[in-house]
Amino acid sequence: MRQFIILFIGILSLSSCVAVREYDKVYLNDEEMNLATKSLERFETNFHIYREAAAGANGGKTGGGCGCN
Amino acid sequence: MKGIGFIVFFGLISWGGFSQGNNQEYIKKVLETPEVELLYSYYSQDGDNAAVTGGEGTEKLTDMTPTIIVSIPIGEDNILSLDAGISAYTSASSSNINPFDGNKAASPWVESSGASRSDALTYFHPTFIHSSKDRNKILSGNIAVSAEYDYFSIGFGGGYTHLMNEKNTELGISGQVYLDTYNPQYPIELRDGFFDNRITGTGTYSPLFNEFNDLNRNSYSLSLNFSQIISKRFQASLSLDFILQDGLLSTPHQRVYLQDMNDFFIEDFQLADNVELLPSSRFKLPVGGRLSYYLNDQMSLRAYFRYYYDDWGVTAYTGSLEIPIKISEKFTVYPMYRYYTQTASDYFYAKETALSTYQYYTSDYDLSEFDSNQYGFGITYKDIFTQSKVWKFGLKSISFRFNQYERTTGLSASIFELGAKFIMD
Repeated sequence: MRQFIILFIGILSLSSCVAVREYDKVYLNDEEMNLATKSLERFETNFHIYREAAAGANGGKTGGGCGCN
Repeated sequence: MKGIGFIVFFGLISWGGFSQGNNQEYIKKVLETPEVELLYSYYSQDGDNAAVTGGEGTEKLTDMTPTIIVSIPIGEDNILSLDAGISAYTSASSSNINPFDGNKAASPWVESSGASRSDALTYFHPTFIHSSKDRNKILSGNIAVSAEYDYFSIGFGGGYTHLMNEKNTELGISGQVYLDTYNPQYPIELRDGFFDNRITGTGTYSPLFNEFNDLNRNSYSLSLNFSQIISKRFQASLSLDFILQDGLLSTPHQRVYLQDMNDFFIEDFQLADNVELLPSSRFKLPVGGRLSYYLNDQMSLRAYFRYYYDDWGVTAYTGSLEIPIKISEKFTVYPMYRYYTQTASDYFYAKETALSTYQYYTSDYDLSEFDSNQYGFGITYKDIFTQSKVWKFGLKSISFRFNQYERTTGLSASIFELGAKFIMD
């Protein structure tokens, strides 16, 4: 887990200190660039919660609200 | 509970203190017009390790879930989202809660035709979202209610997101509580008054079973989110959840067969020695990261990674990649792949390997050690001019996804998903 966090923070630190301005966000505003899960993916997330022990950190349910883990 | 929901809801509506500004210039609404999303999924699975029949038996299951999400703008700064659906399923293993009520010979490999063969989970999940005038602060609250024959759940939650650094950095915190109650459906042979003169075996059938006293399951989660724009083409996010569950975490209809107890049968069906016994609390710690990279006007990359730990002994890793490819102005296709691996829970035992002296045991293969591979594709049609109309609504997009899931335990599953988004003219 430690390696995972270090790697991730390392990637984030690659960013420059200069913010990307609104008029430069044309690529980032593309719908396919959205960091959130798509609404249609909720069904996949749900069956993963039932069929796998792990849950959470993906914008979906984290357990509870169903007979799942 | 209803009172708490109303307080959260009206509190959010009336709370505008942080969002007031003196700027009278035109501010774009957070949502211009009402939107309706119609979603549908069809899921089917099969395998040989049904938990209801103690780790051996058919896992055949199908589920259909029609869902509607209606998003309504309220004023310039608020959105009310109403999410409702029904998950209707038929399950061969659930049918074997009572394997003796059908016309076929009782067997863990044969689906019974009794009432427990099918059920429907209905749910309603309204969410209210408020944005500040500068759109840098977002507050949300939600209520969640769901019910099926043997389960009822009520939940509520809220979240706060703060955007900064010219909306290049986003920090969020959210919490969710579910208060669930089981109406346990124990295996038929463990219920009071069960008698059948066809029982075969050595000695007298005397299972260990005692009914559960606590039928409540509470789940509490706290989520921390951080997202960052890294360049004009690259952004990433990191999520950390703290999840605590307590109460009845065993599933009351999942049988266990123990190594040191005699075996008893009715026809080809082995009678339970007990139901699964699991601790009354579980702490989970998942950490997830997402990356989105815009390769060029035709292609981008979306990646997801997750590390998961819990105090039942499960450690898991997840990685997935989706590559949206624009094949025309209106059509995008999505090849995708997901890999998942987990270690076994400390309480998992295959059929007839646990001893009656153990405090906890389960033969649920969802808690066993396995890897899984999921691969699929999707296609989306988008029409930003919403030229196709249904009554007062224009079709904005329609999407289809298919995924095939293969687990090293032998479980195989397929899922079809269909979604259409409409906006009001």
